[in-house]
Amino acid sequence: MDGTNAMTSRLGAVSTGSALELRGVTKMFGALAAISDVTLTVRPGERRAVLGSNGAGKTTLFNCVTGDFLPTSGTIRLFGEDVTTFPAHERIRRGLRRTYQISLLFTGLSVADNVYLACRGVSRGRFSLLRPRRGDPLLTRSAELVEAVRLTAARDRLVSELSYGQQRQLEIALALAGAPRFILFDEPAAGLSPTERAELVAILTGLPSHIGFIIIEHDMDVALRVAESVTMMHNGRVFKEGTPAEIETDPEVQELYLGGGHG
Amino acid sequence: MQRYIQRNPVWSAVLALLLAVLLWLVLAPWSQGMEDVLGRKRVFLNAVFSGITLGALYFLVASGFTLIFGLMRNVNLAHGSLYLLGGYIGFEVSEATGSWLLAFPVVFVLIAVLGLLLQHQVFRRMEGQELRQTMVTIGLSVVLADVMLWIWGGQSYTIFLPDWLSGPMTLPIISGTGRGGEVVYLKFPMVRMAILFAAIVIGVAMWLVLNRTRLGMLIRAGVDDRDMLTATGIRIQYVFLAVFCFGAGMAGIAGIVGGSFQSLSPGEDTRFLLASLVVVIVGGMGSIPGAAIGALIIGLAEQIGLVYAPTYSVVFTFLIMAVVLAFRPQGLLGR
Amino acid sequence: MADITKSRTDTPTLWVERVHPAVWALGLVMLFMPAFANGFWLFQVFGWTFILGMIALSLMFLAGYGGMVSLIQMTVAALGGYGVAILGPSGVAQISLGLPWWLYVPLAIAIAALFATLVGALAVRTEGIYTIMITLAMASAFFYFTRQNYGIFNGYSGFNLVVPPQLFGVDWRQPVPFYYLTLGCAALAYAAVVYVARSPFGLALQGTRDNPRRMAALGFNVTAHRIAAYTFAGAIAAVGGILLVWQNAQIAPGTAGLPAVFDILVIAVVGGLRRPSGAFVGAFIYVLLRTFSPDVLTAFGLSNERFKMLIGFGFLAMVVFSPDGVLGLWDRWRARAGRRDPLTGKERG
Repeated sequence: MDGTNAMTSRLGAVSTGSALELRGVTKMFGALAAISDVTLTVRPGERRAVLGSNGAGKTTLFNCVTGDFLPTSGTIRLFGEDVTTFPAHERIRRGLRRTYQISLLFTGLSVADNVYLACRGVSRGRFSLLRPRRGDPLLTRSAELVEAVRLTAARDRLVSELSYGQQRQLEIALALAGAPRFILFDEPAAGLSPTERAELVAILTGLPSHIGFIIIEHDMDVALRVAESVTMMHNGRVFKEGTPAEIETDPEVQELYLGGGHG
Repeated sequence: MQRYIQRNPVWSAVLALLLAVLLWLVLAPWSQGMEDVLGRKRVFLNAVFSGITLGALYFLVASGFTLIFGLMRNVNLAHGSLYLLGGYIGFEVSEATGSWLLAFPVVFVLIAVLGLLLQHQVFRRMEGQELRQTMVTIGLSVVLADVMLWIWGGQSYTIFLPDWLSGPMTLPIISGTGRGGEVVYLKFPMVRMAILFAAIVIGVAMWLVLNRTRLGMLIRAGVDDRDMLTATGIRIQYVFLAVFCFGAGMAGIAGIVGGSFQSLSPGEDTRFLLASLVVVIVGGMGSIPGAAIGALIIGLAEQIGLVYAPTYSVVFTFLIMAVVLAFRPQGLLGR
Repeated sequence: MADITKSRTDTPTLWVERVHPAVWALGLVMLFMPAFANGFWLFQVFGWTFILGMIALSLMFLAGYGGMVSLIQMTVAALGGYGVAILGPSGVAQISLGLPWWLYVPLAIAIAALFATLVGALAVRTEGIYTIMITLAMASAFFYFTRQNYGIFNGYSGFNLVVPPQLFGVDWRQPVPFYYLTLGCAALAYAAVVYVARSPFGLALQGTRDNPRRMAALGFNVTAHRIAAYTFAGAIAAVGGILLVWQNAQIAPGTAGLPAVFDILVIAVVGGLRRPSGAFVGAFIYVLLRTFSPDVLTAFGLSNERFKMLIGFGFLAMVVFSPDGVLGLWDRWRARAGRRDPLTGKERG
């Protein structure tokens, strides 16, 4: 991953007070504002939970940050660099990663191939016409990742044959490929059994401390256990920010979210 | 229109300027210096008017194509074959009955029924498989081309016009000055003006149907969001059938029009298929006004190119398409 | 589907052991074909099959691995052929430059691949069904352009007397040398496609076909990958086009007319777009039909010009009843046969 290291040192020259910085980000779909005037700063290594009811604009926020679509207005800075108009792959190559709410995996490929693709995507040789040799460092690296998300037993199985929980684990493995510096987790715990949730929390808390992330999660238990700070969103706007303890005890939040039938 | 001007003031200004220059070139008498640079005004005027009428013909062919595409996501690559078949049948009908006008309803109904059969028997069976539907239309175009070659052979046919449409008419546009200094007005084939007039009437009628009737509302809703339309429980199959019939019938009567002021021969099917493709790519898929603008642009480019740069007239068409694709992949009026 | 990571950790096997015995048999038959086939079969049937198969293979690569049904492949091939005719020697001395073969062959391939890249760059801006329309429009524009342009493409009549160079003192248009030439090129193209399909590039291309959004989120430039696929396929098509012009000894606008453009799609679809071998199966069927259907049609009292209809109906039947082509039919037949008990012939549960 020497390419990424070079990138890190190059970016180090820019003042990097924050890992991710959103200023006045608005995304309109026709006349409908999915998110409006979102301003948000996350420090490097910080773990942030974004909470809010369905339609609060959380996933739209992620899509703007990864570049799936461009915001209507506002700026997005990643490690100090303005990436507002960058295509998705350029942001990914700068250390941003994300997982999807509904798993977006290559169902016709094996687990190992999925992870291999992810490793290839953030290293050189994406256009290589040569098949990898045995002992290719990327093969070793993808085997390690498969191990890290506890899928080694299933490494040669097609993704379509995996259980739902295993697919969610693979989602996380894809996000960990290369040298991630900041990850967006979109409801990683959705649909998981209690045991699988415990495993997920273990994976998330076990991440190296320099990797920051934002997690969208409906399960307050998971969200508050892995996050150091919380942003509440409502109707596309940032509604409250604070520590998990502050948010949990905030009367307005309880009114709006905890009392709102979720749980 | 107003909304477009508000949203794109620069482009609107450029377009308005181009239109003004074109109008001035058409209406104003040309000075000697201009004729030295641009050639005779009569030649230019003829190219422009031929371009507009050719555009009108392209619009007749492409409007059905774009509607079918917009609604059913079915690229009907047999559309050119329907055009040619309509022309041949129109030729037979007008030969047999001696009535040019009678050919129109007969051909419209026959080709529309063919369209009905295609939609009902073939495409409905592979709903949602766009690629497969398109490949079926390719197979059909190959078969139809050979059937037509079998029946009508390789020679070219021209449909004879009724007397009231043949001959030239004089337009109130100055084409130049005569030897004695008197003003000479532009003479232009009557039939071409009739085609232009018919295309405008049909275009406006289609626009009215699309924007003012319940069927039109359903079609527009279907173009915008098919799943939504299906989910509301409307019998979308009937809308599909109606649109396919209409689009096929339009291609058929366009064949009569094309056969009257040009000619019919094997190969014309692919020529008009290409024209329809380029027109909807330029104008925007599924948009009737887009088809009108695209047809006008392509018709003008082809005819003006033919007069001023005969070898490269195809290149103009192609370049226009490439530029549109590069800057506006969804077409000028596409979404 | 490719699995590059798997084969690396299994117990190593020699690559020869992984090839099916039937493939070995087919290879041997192909290699010794000149011993029992006459010149007509070698030159006209097999030579043409390999050439059309290569052009269809380039379409299969784009459609099967990249999900892009491109109708430009025949045009790219024809441009390769034109390149050889214009840069090398031909009967039209006032246009042809007469460069040496080691210059004009690579140049022709490079020009055609560049053209394919440009078309790809425009075509990948849109998706799915639009690709067909745009590539078709460009293919017809090329046809009309070559027909009108006399300065470079010599218009309607095109170029004649375009023959392969007399390399190593061999006349490569003689049936046996031409058979081996086309067989060699086709085998190389086939091997290249099979190999590349499982390389990082090929794997990523299949990723962009299945899930472009995720590919971008993994750091891949989806557009660039698609355009590069056009370049790769274009080079293969160009080699096919050069062999085609050598076989016919001439090239004209009709070489890339719409019927020819559709024929390539027909071949690829009839063979099956899922596997590279489908292109050659489809080409063989097509060539057999083209070559022998006149006799059959005449026997039924029809004009021998009706072979187009025959091919059209065959294609229609294939699209309607077996969208994955002859190889798909074969797979399903095998699957059903596999479920049958070999002794009783009854289906097993």
